[in-house]
Amino acid sequence: MIYVLRRLGQAVLVLLLAYTVAYVLLAALPGDAVVARFASPELGLSPDQLAAIREAYGFDRPLWQRYLESVFAFIRGDFGYSVQSGAAVSTLLATALPSSLVLAAWGLGVSILLAIGIAVAATFGPRFIRRGFQSLPPLFVSIPVFFVGIVLIQVFSFRLGLIPVINASPVQALILPVATLAIPLSAPLAQVLIRSIDEVRAQPFIAVVRARGASTSWLLWRNVARNAVLPALTMAGLIFGELVGGAVVTESVFGRAGVGQLTAQAVAARDAPVLLAVVVFSALAFVVINLLVDLAYPVLDPRLRGARR
Amino acid sequence: MPLPRPLRRLALAATAAVATAALLAGCSGGGTGSGESVNSEPVTGGTLTYLEPQTWTTLYPPAAGFYPNGGIVNNITDRLLYQDPETLELQPWIATALPEVNEDATQYTFTIREGVTYSDGTPLDAANVVANFDLFGKGDSSRKLTQSEVINNYDHGEVVDPTTVRFFFTAPSPGFAQAVSTINSGLVSNSTLAKTAETFGPGNATTVIGSGPFVIGAEEVGTKVTLKARDDYAWAPPSREHQGRPYLDGIDLIVAAEDSVRVGTVVAGQADAARQIEAPDEAQFAAPGLALVAAPTNGVNNGLSFRFRNPLLNDIRVRQAIIAGIDRQDIVDTLFTANYPLATGALAKTALGYTDTSSFYAYDPDKAASLLDEAGWVPGSDGIRVKDGQRLAIAFNEALPQPRSAEVVTIIQEQLAKLGIEVSLVPGDMAAQTAASLDENVVQVYHSMVGRADFDVLKSQYFSKNRNTLLNLHPADGSVGDPELDTLLAAIASTPTVEGRTAASAAAQQYLAEQAYILPIFEEPQVFGLRGDVKGFHTESVGRPSFAEVWLDR
Repeated sequence: MIYVLRRLGQAVLVLLLAYTVAYVLLAALPGDAVVARFASPELGLSPDQLAAIREAYGFDRPLWQRYLESVFAFIRGDFGYSVQSGAAVSTLLATALPSSLVLAAWGLGVSILLAIGIAVAATFGPRFIRRGFQSLPPLFVSIPVFFVGIVLIQVFSFRLGLIPVINASPVQALILPVATLAIPLSAPLAQVLIRSIDEVRAQPFIAVVRARGASTSWLLWRNVARNAVLPALTMAGLIFGELVGGAVVTESVFGRAGVGQLTAQAVAARDAPVLLAVVVFSALAFVVINLLVDLAYPVLDPRLRGARR
Repeated sequence: MPLPRPLRRLALAATAAVATAALLAGCSGGGTGSGESVNSEPVTGGTLTYLEPQTWTTLYPPAAGFYPNGGIVNNITDRLLYQDPETLELQPWIATALPEVNEDATQYTFTIREGVTYSDGTPLDAANVVANFDLFGKGDSSRKLTQSEVINNYDHGEVVDPTTVRFFFTAPSPGFAQAVSTINSGLVSNSTLAKTAETFGPGNATTVIGSGPFVIGAEEVGTKVTLKARDDYAWAPPSREHQGRPYLDGIDLIVAAEDSVRVGTVVAGQADAARQIEAPDEAQFAAPGLALVAAPTNGVNNGLSFRFRNPLLNDIRVRQAIIAGIDRQDIVDTLFTANYPLATGALAKTALGYTDTSSFYAYDPDKAASLLDEAGWVPGSDGIRVKDGQRLAIAFNEALPQPRSAEVVTIIQEQLAKLGIEVSLVPGDMAAQTAASLDENVVQVYHSMVGRADFDVLKSQYFSKNRNTLLNLHPADGSVGDPELDTLLAAIASTPTVEGRTAASAAAQQYLAEQAYILPIFEEPQVFGLRGDVKGFHTESVGRPSFAEVWLDR
């Protein structure tokens, strides 16, 4: 219990630090959102008019004052308004999150299945299959996400006409983006799984179990998998980062309204309120996932139970 | 957007066809109208799928200059006057006739058409028209609503009688008649006028009420806006052939940021039309069953503004040398297509007040070198010219909204390097570019363009208190470097007659050319890719799509 509380305290600290660093970095860049939105020649406003707008946004006050105000507003759950569009950040996030969560969940799920499939085939298949599958993770990890997306669209949508990109049904709209996200995501998972399966299989207890007549599948599921999955689970926290990065690209390419596309647009427009909210939510998800991973360890591995409690 | 560039190259490689002028001349509309309707009469019905590269940001008409905003505002609102996109002539629309203007253009009287209603049922009456312009002409900074760039010297409006309104100005405002025809003056209902910058933004699209041929039916924030035809629409500009409700039942405006996706979906038949087809992708629309429309933007050409108050560019010979050292034809041939004509002056040929000043922009590297020698800039040890210990190194901004700006600057970099001039490109996003562009010590040469079909556009771009692209007005000390330029530009916006404005505009363009303040590069179009069976597609005077007459021949 104390352990969990300590971890929660750390989590809050991490969130505050992430927010502060993001705030300072955004403030340090030349120009700000008012410049991006209102000083752009699109509107042709005079310096006086700009000053009035700056005042209306409260950008004429000192930085520390604005920072403190925004922190307290955040704690109250008020994320402010996008400077770019004027829409409430909470509205934007509320629209974007569900779509991104669905994409991320499917992407992660498919990538895990893909990784397991690759790892199993690379370990237990016939020799030529093993070779082929062992070289898949390095290949997958080195293809940029946007390239995967474009190739999938070109082949499956434009050439073969199997799945429309525009006006697709919700299921159709998920297939290609999920594949785009899952392919590069599965690579590090598969790599780690292959390595740890190899390591576990070299351990003496495997020889013992095998000597007592266990079949290959018994070995795999009862003995090898359980031990080999621990390092892969550690990867889950790291993979979340890739998931966010991949989602930015995937959603932009496929025109999905998600947090990724929102982030890409906010970065282009220097939309600080949106970016800060995205940073905090990402940090929150990161913290939660790592916490869950840490709590899951003792469940999977009895050796860790005593030490932690 | 960081992605498109490599992708665009990929798409280029995939087509394995380089756009040749001859190939494209055959398929480009050249004007504002799209396909010629071959045999059949227009058909009512169907939904058009239209792709935008970016999501819209606000539907507040004065801030609708950004193309994704303008594409919506143009179709959901009507204006007092209609500007013919081909002749740029002003014609009646919600106003039953052209306005009565007093002698010095400080009072405008419009008669309002009766029976026009907004889509929420409220009437478009005289009081509402006055309320529209009282907001657009002055803005309301407490609601973060900006003043319209196109309306100058606005004082107030008055309801004279139920069908007559009069607007008063503090100084001559000859551009006002054209201003009321632009999308920035799109009329909106009283409830819409009460909105704030926030409630004009995404998430609120369906509550923005106009009287136009289409109504916003649904919105998915960030991805899609659905327009529905207004069945009782009966007040199209009288000069248009098609009156009554639009042919289409509706339009799906969908955001597809990736160039290759936009091109590919239209080519593959998944969508009907797409805006912003980049020059390298144009060749794909040469295939049968596809069409390309390049709409002119009728304003200040895509080009360079030299910040002449900076010590490096203070000497007219240096500016002339840079102009003579840049091979514009090479830039247009390498990066663009026949839809991007070489500029022959500050304004596009189709713009109001255009004069030909092309003789000032001839490519002559020998002359450039001798001008630099004359000005005392001699080649230094690294090949870059030096004078009084200072290197001739100038920085350009990247015009992010303009097509292939970074590539344009890269070619200029190569061309000017041969003359011993070092060119650098300021990196950064929109905010960083804008901030850098306001400082002559960071950006000495400013790349930009502006589209607006009125004489005022020249003043908008170069006048010290408007866009001030030459930084004639020093942002820090507020001094004006060349008062004569300001006088010439101000005359365009304060001379009441058309003849007077034409002469004033010509004088200002001549002065800009003689002083070597600018180098226009090309006339920037808005390029749309269409399925061949999309008929009747045309744009308003600055290249925003008008869907009221579009029909599907299928």
